[in-house]
Amino acid sequence: MSVNIEQIDACRWRIPREGAMRSEGLVFADRAMIERLRSEQALEQVRNVACLPGIVGPSIAMPDIHWGYGFPIGGVAAFDAEEGVVSPGGVGYDINCGVRLLRSALSAEEVLPHIEILADRLFQNVPAGVGSERRDLRLNLHQERQVLQQGAAWAVGQGYGTPEDLEHIEERGVIAGADPLKVSPRALERGRSQLGTLGSGNHFLEVQRVDKIFDPQAAELLGLFPGQVTVSIHTGSRGFGYQVCDDSLRRMIKASRKYGIHLPDRQLCCAPLSSPEAHDYLEAMACAANFAFANRQLITAWVRETFEQVFHKGPAALRLALIYDVCHNIAKWETHEVAGRARRLCVHRKGATRAFPPGHPETPAAYRQIGQPVLIPGDMGRYSFVLVGTQGAFSETYGSTCHGAGRVMSRHAAKKRARGQDISGDLQRQGISIRAAGRATLAEEIPEAYKDVRDVVSVVQQAGIGKIVARLKPLAVIKG
Amino acid sequence: MGSFELLEHTADIGIAAKADSWPELLQQLALGLRRILCGDSVIASTLCLTQTIRGEDREELLVNLLNELIFLLETRNFLTAELEVDCRATGVLTLHLHGEAFDPARHQWQQEVKAATYHQLRIEQDGESWRAQVYLDL
Repeated sequence: MSVNIEQIDACRWRIPREGAMRSEGLVFADRAMIERLRSEQALEQVRNVACLPGIVGPSIAMPDIHWGYGFPIGGVAAFDAEEGVVSPGGVGYDINCGVRLLRSALSAEEVLPHIEILADRLFQNVPAGVGSERRDLRLNLHQERQVLQQGAAWAVGQGYGTPEDLEHIEERGVIAGADPLKVSPRALERGRSQLGTLGSGNHFLEVQRVDKIFDPQAAELLGLFPGQVTVSIHTGSRGFGYQVCDDSLRRMIKASRKYGIHLPDRQLCCAPLSSPEAHDYLEAMACAANFAFANRQLITAWVRETFEQVFHKGPAALRLALIYDVCHNIAKWETHEVAGRARRLCVHRKGATRAFPPGHPETPAAYRQIGQPVLIPGDMGRYSFVLVGTQGAFSETYGSTCHGAGRVMSRHAAKKRARGQDISGDLQRQGISIRAAGRATLAEEIPEAYKDVRDVVSVVQQAGIGKIVARLKPLAVIKG
Repeated sequence: MGSFELLEHTADIGIAAKADSWPELLQQLALGLRRILCGDSVIASTLCLTQTIRGEDREELLVNLLNELIFLLETRNFLTAELEVDCRATGVLTLHLHGEAFDPARHQWQQEVKAATYHQLRIEQDGESWRAQVYLDL
């Protein structure tokens, strides 16, 4: 079914309100992106989200948009506390999938002679792939419940990192209101052996170098310099979060019927924010978000250990410090100004990143002058970007921006394109060492399967919903 | 005679299956999931498990069945080679699963599957001809 779309300017498009839509759609994209989107269902999904009760402002889509389940990936929508709903489809199965970025005192020149052994050791020390786990991390039920309530702070309390890390994580690494009693035994069982694992697909651990600085002042405050080695970790709540989402969908499908909410798509199932079903979901979702924060904190600790082993230097010399950690699949209560009035809204970001501006109290003090860091991973062969949040984002997109490159090719098409290619060899010749646990992963994750993330962040910058600070290029990539 | 094929999706993957009965349709979907998880690896039927799945309608039963197979792999390391489905009781499926422990040395692990979804989920019956389509989040 085709979707009416009107161009507003070079990087904004409107889906006019019509039919069952309660608001309009607002898509950030350039013309080439919009033309590609016409051949898939993402725009229809943006329109469907605009049909949900209590939506405040437009159903928003970022330039890395592609079709997902219910909400598109790259979708943002905010809902009124009294009239609005919460939808698990607006968060996704991988609750609090997110990215963190570490900086170091090392240069690429120092690291490159050791890159192969570093990649081997990271692949050994950070579990990835089915059945992998750290044998030194076996949780009992009581400990797992503590993780769900405390998030990254639990990991720091066990010696995985420092209190300073917590100051550089969105929400300080814990979403309030988590209630482990709202989580099924099935989710607890599924999650227990997966805490501290990377996962597979587009999850990764990447050693990078700072390739280009676009904003020297912001880069200095983030502690970035040209040629510096950084590390990105992209993972989420693993089987725990997937199970929380699956459990919630069944309940929300029933809730949608109970509250008389018409669903253009069953995966948009939802419940009024004032309902017990909504409260239960948000409390379980918070558990999963906290699991993910703890997960990334544990992996960070093992990355730090690995660098110490390989470079025979201690933490003070390596200075592998956390720049920031962001969620990109989450629903959060936030206060935003709408028509001149401060309103408490439930903001859903599914494949979208919070991007709070300079001066915002939730932007860490160290970065308040420049805005909240935003970490945008690209594909494994090209580059990633570091941005900061802007007032433009806060005014127009509930302080949200893109989250990555977005796929343009199905996994089947990517594998077909990759047939006969020596993907590892090609990456190696580009100076990128790769370790992957899954055979399908490399072929499916070839760079051509993704949009060029440079195009995505260019639209974001042009639209004023993010400001580019630096570009990072991969040196080693570990995948599940 | 049942069959399945894998469906393209930008980020994930789908399974379309056809069969001559509801139980056989579910079997074909399970084989599709097996293909996605570990390609054409040979999986021995040395272990047996019996599991019960509940659901309010066929859609829920289908999604729950596939999610159960994913759950068993992740929590019991059990890789399903084949299954029989008993659906005589309304709203209940009894699964007799045959498989073995996942062995990365022998089973060509392809990728993790997060869950079967309700996205564009379709089950159609025309006499003795059954078809279904389901998408999986990777």
